[in-house]
Amino acid sequence: MDPECSQLLPALCAVLADPRQPVADDTCLEKLLDWFKTIADAGSSLLLLQENPCLVTLLCPVLKPQDLSPRVLAFLLRLAGILAAQEDCFQHLQQGDLLPRLFGEAGPLGGAAWTAPTVRSGWIQGLCSLTQHPSALCFLAHSGAVDTIFSLQGDSSLFVASAAGQLLVHILGLSMQAPAEGHPSLQPAHWPACAQKIVGHIEESLRATATPQVTQALNVLTTMFSHCHDPWTQVLWVHLSPLVACLLEKDPVPAAHSLVDLLLSVARSPVLSSSSCGLWDTLAQTLSRLRASQAGPLALGILKLQECPKALRAQAFAVLLQPLTCVLEATTQAPGLPGSVGGTADAPLTAGMLLPSKAACVGLLCQTLAHLELLQPLPQRPSPWPWAPLLSAAVTILRLCNGSATPTSDTGTHLCAFLAGCVRVQRAALDFLGTLSQGTGPQELVTQVFAILLEYLTSPDSSPTVLKKAFQATLQWLQSSPKPSGGGDLEPHAQLFLRELLPVLPKRLCSPCWDVRDSGLEFLTQTVRRWGGQAGFRHALLASEVPELTEQLLRDPESYVRASAVAAMGQLSSRGLHIIPASPGHPGAQQSLLEELLHILSTDSEGFPRRAVMQVFTQWLRDSHADVAADTEHFVARVLRVASQDLDWEVRAQGLELALVFLEQTLGQPSSSCPYAMTPPAAAPPSLVAQALQPFCRVQLFDFAFRALFDCDRPVAQKSCDLLLFLRAKTASYSDQQGSSSGPDVASLEAALQRWQAGDQGQPLGDLEPEAVVAVLRSLDLEGLRGALAESSDHAEQSPLSLLQDMLATAGILGENEADCY
Amino acid sequence: MPEIRVTPLGAGQDVGRSCILVSIGGKNVMLDCGMHMGFNDDRRFPDFSYITRNGRLTDFLDCVIISHFHLDHCGALPYFSEMVGYDGPIYMTHPTQAICPILLEDYRKIAVDKKGEANFFTSQMIKDCMKKVVAVHLHQTVQVDDELEIKAYYAGHVLGAAMFQIKVGSESVVYTGDYNMTPDRHLGAAWIDKCRPNLLITESTYATTIRDSKRCRERDFLKKVHEAVERGGKVLIPVFALGRAQELCILLETFWERMNLKAPIYFSTGLTEKANHYYKLFITWTNQKIRKTFVQRNMFEFKHIKAFDRAFADNPGPMVVFATPGMLHAGQSLQIFRKWAGNEKNMVIMPGYCVQGTVGHKILSGQRKLEMEGRQVLEVKMQVEYMSFSAHADAKGIMQLVGQAEPENVLLVHGEAKKMEFLKQKIEQEFRLLPDAKKPRLLHGTLIMKDSNFRLVSSEQALKELGLAEHQLRFTCRVHLHDPRKEQETALRVYSHLKSVLKDHCVQHLPDGSVTVESILIQAAAHSEDPGTKVLLVSWTYQDEELGSYLTSLLKKGLPQGAT
Repeated sequence: MDPECSQLLPALCAVLADPRQPVADDTCLEKLLDWFKTIADAGSSLLLLQENPCLVTLLCPVLKPQDLSPRVLAFLLRLAGILAAQEDCFQHLQQGDLLPRLFGEAGPLGGAAWTAPTVRSGWIQGLCSLTQHPSALCFLAHSGAVDTIFSLQGDSSLFVASAAGQLLVHILGLSMQAPAEGHPSLQPAHWPACAQKIVGHIEESLRATATPQVTQALNVLTTMFSHCHDPWTQVLWVHLSPLVACLLEKDPVPAAHSLVDLLLSVARSPVLSSSSCGLWDTLAQTLSRLRASQAGPLALGILKLQECPKALRAQAFAVLLQPLTCVLEATTQAPGLPGSVGGTADAPLTAGMLLPSKAACVGLLCQTLAHLELLQPLPQRPSPWPWAPLLSAAVTILRLCNGSATPTSDTGTHLCAFLAGCVRVQRAALDFLGTLSQGTGPQELVTQVFAILLEYLTSPDSSPTVLKKAFQATLQWLQSSPKPSGGGDLEPHAQLFLRELLPVLPKRLCSPCWDVRDSGLEFLTQTVRRWGGQAGFRHALLASEVPELTEQLLRDPESYVRASAVAAMGQLSSRGLHIIPASPGHPGAQQSLLEELLHILSTDSEGFPRRAVMQVFTQWLRDSHADVAADTEHFVARVLRVASQDLDWEVRAQGLELALVFLEQTLGQPSSSCPYAMTPPAAAPPSLVAQALQPFCRVQLFDFAFRALFDCDRPVAQKSCDLLLFLRAKTASYSDQQGSSSGPDVASLEAALQRWQAGDQGQPLGDLEPEAVVAVLRSLDLEGLRGALAESSDHAEQSPLSLLQDMLATAGILGENEADCY
Repeated sequence: MPEIRVTPLGAGQDVGRSCILVSIGGKNVMLDCGMHMGFNDDRRFPDFSYITRNGRLTDFLDCVIISHFHLDHCGALPYFSEMVGYDGPIYMTHPTQAICPILLEDYRKIAVDKKGEANFFTSQMIKDCMKKVVAVHLHQTVQVDDELEIKAYYAGHVLGAAMFQIKVGSESVVYTGDYNMTPDRHLGAAWIDKCRPNLLITESTYATTIRDSKRCRERDFLKKVHEAVERGGKVLIPVFALGRAQELCILLETFWERMNLKAPIYFSTGLTEKANHYYKLFITWTNQKIRKTFVQRNMFEFKHIKAFDRAFADNPGPMVVFATPGMLHAGQSLQIFRKWAGNEKNMVIMPGYCVQGTVGHKILSGQRKLEMEGRQVLEVKMQVEYMSFSAHADAKGIMQLVGQAEPENVLLVHGEAKKMEFLKQKIEQEFRLLPDAKKPRLLHGTLIMKDSNFRLVSSEQALKELGLAEHQLRFTCRVHLHDPRKEQETALRVYSHLKSVLKDHCVQHLPDGSVTVESILIQAAAHSEDPGTKVLLVSWTYQDEELGSYLTSLLKKGLPQGAT
């Protein structure tokens, strides 16, 4: 422990032990525990106690828990647990008889403090920390703590109940690993007493008629099989599996959700799944016993397993597909014909399962679609994957939702009534449809996909979230369209679709909902980036109102939309798709996009559009956009002048990024071998280096970069540091030759740096000589600065010393600011 | 009593990362999704594992409701929706929808700026999250789905803050979020109708406090600013971009106008414009006084408050600067503080709570020598003041709200356990035990005037004495049902359906074929023109009005196929 902290600790302990002193901030005690945990993990807890006897004194007031606040009491229990995790320290505390009085009947357990969930939680966490060695197990056995933990499993606080379950798992695991016990016996009857007691409790709970008790037992087992893969777990499963199987005979199956979790954790356990232990039969039986909504997650879990019998996988897949099969049957002329998902001959599900209520129908369909979406990208998904029927099902569901499907049965009619206008199902189906773009389907179905997507994109009934999903799915399908063999970027079908879509887009760009306008613009940016060079698309786009509307959206009242419009316009312009509109009302108002974007950068009151402009400008500079290439230096100078003054640090950081691109383009990449880059060669003559740096002086890049070095926002300073280090590396050979430089320029620059470092803003530097820049670059400790910046400003604030000082300073200050949360 | 399950995932018995899961009538609703500013690790967000272990988030949760824009109520939202994976609807009021992203963005920028956090939600994530928001109006009943409906009530506290009623069938919960029962300079007082929810979940920040009037605190604040400016000092007020900043701006603007003060007031970020724009836009959410004067002058168009330029901090003479962030832990406010801290003429006023570790927390706890980055020590000579402007209901206000809503049960959250215990007893005393003789109570009875005497008797007694027969007032309603079966069979199906749905009520199938639920009578008759349709004649007494309307709406949805 830091000596400064060690000095403050006694005072702090005195404050904590004093019930009249309030604890300033509810996070302080948590942070204090974090600190003690770090110290204990790094060294000896016993030594810590011996060197800081105030800690033992601190633990003593727990013996009078009624005097302490529940928060402090819980803290002390947890602290004792952390310290007693090491066996020698445990013994030390035992000698003082402290532990039984902390965690036994004599402690808070029997008193009024126990009514506070915080104290019960602290008691469990303390025990969980200390249960790390055989001595702790003996202590638990003798103190009767295990019985208390059993009762806490049903605690009114869910967090206490959950922690109690986890503690049982922890104790069971440790007692089975105890070296004194040797190799675990094949019979739980011969296991250590503590383990037997816990297993006995689990058995009893599994036999209980009350569902909460069954749930508790199942949850404990799930946690255990998920985290512990020792051989004895197999013995335990063999012992308990008949009781678990008995649960399946009850109607309805109790705690179905927890049962599914348990069976899957067992199936995932390398120890258990390899030997099966009747597990596969139990899984198969469970699949057939559970309701569709309960069986879905189990089926998905089975299909995600790496190893599993084929028959079980087939059964699970059939269960997973059942709801979609029903949908297809309800809307096809001849139910059960090929085209239905997975074949329906032996699917036991009837449409009735989908129809008890709208809520059940919607829930089941959403769950199924989400499960299939999760399963599809996995390598262990069933093969062959039924692309076509799944596509057909997704399209049908979307049609049922927008009322364009024709039901062919009563079930279909009901489905229509349930799903019409249901946003939740629409969202799930569109997500799934997007994922299905990864595969192949018959052309006829792909046509249907584009048709339904177009319907959704056109429909005035589509909600903003549905539209966003429809745009995303559309993009996925367009991207996955195969390229035609004769050249061109899009197959004719998709091309036709895009042409049909472009007249729809203006409507969305004029939507009164900002999110719809924004989603439309995001879609446009993506499509232009991808197909902006494709003749058919270009022609259709230019013939539409889209470019003009996008340009108008640069002045949208919503800043998110303005930012997206900036990105879209940047992309359109890069692709030569931006045409300056002839505006009859304002003949003189025509200006280049560059000017318009600069205007946004200088005047927009929001950060998003300004940041978007900087991104566009940086990209333009990288791509040598025509407007930039015409006079790059002039462009960079103008942009940097505005960006360096911005109040948003992200804009300033992006300004430095643009400056770095300019540097790289002029001087060459750090490891570049570009023959055209003007790189000062090794041992370059001074005049050449000065010449190379002149453009940067002219665009005032150094003024911006040096000032940014002491920016109050850390990322800006970091960026500037990187930029100057790059520059120094490039000019290193030159400065080596020059020796120390001490001209008047250097002195004024160094003086300015000192002022900036002190927080003064001051006037701009004016014209700088490259030689002075190089000299100052060499004298600056940029590496040191970079190291300091990398530490983050939390470094000082979050130190243990700062924590102790804050807690001590707050002691005695009573006030309402404690509860006054922002 | 229907089962309503409440799981606080945060802010159960503390303040910060408010997040409460309510299960009601088979629906799961998350109330608020806040963050805790005092932590930098996982603990800053609520523990969502309780939900994720119940299956997919979007399947499990029916909706998320955000009460107001403060970060301890909405700060975890982009993390929850874009990183944990919730894809369902998020409900909030229109002002909250407009202002929430500004604060989230502010928070993100500070987190990334200060700590360089890379694995943090991005601007794009905030935007995508906001696209999932459905904005609601006050008192508008919003159908989340066929069974779940929500309704917002005015909560005061901050612009756009709302209390929400969540209703499934005849079961309901009211969640207050943070609220204020007394109007302040720019907002009105919280109000809710007598909705008699099964459960009222109320904040209890000031569970044991009767707060002094906010006017006193405002006067103190103005006095201190004025004194500092008069002696030529500079005043720094660290604030978050939006919320308290606007309230204090109104305060200073009015004071400057009245006192004809000339010292400049600056707001240090570019966010003022947008914030003020929203305050102007949502003028209907402010209090009556601001709304009334709106025609002559918009209180949010400030004459004296100007945008700040970084170079102004070095200007000589007095000035007042509002700078972000509010806890002096990074950026502009910290930079100005470092510059001004050494001069005893200057003053810093902290108008809100600061978490441990921040410079704000340190100076409020009286520390005057601060270790800054690089082991530099900053000596603080400037005057340090704390002014609480938080607008929560005090104990009296909470009791008032309980009295207004008349809930069956009250659950206290967002406060300290000890204080909650005290308030719990107060509520039980006030609303559950023997009536207080001095407190007005509602009585039903009949006043009889006879022989110049007045007597208040029960209605039954009055009828008996006067020899009158009681009139039965019944509501009636006809519900058309598509069912080709005979009337008796239809009635039987209605009986089975209601029996399965209304488990807590007495549902009977009478020998004459009619069905009764408490006082409600249902008879099935054939339709005169359409043999495939049956008409259900439903009637009920006024005492069972609520159940009657619920039952009618239930029957209008039709009968399930399986009901026989």
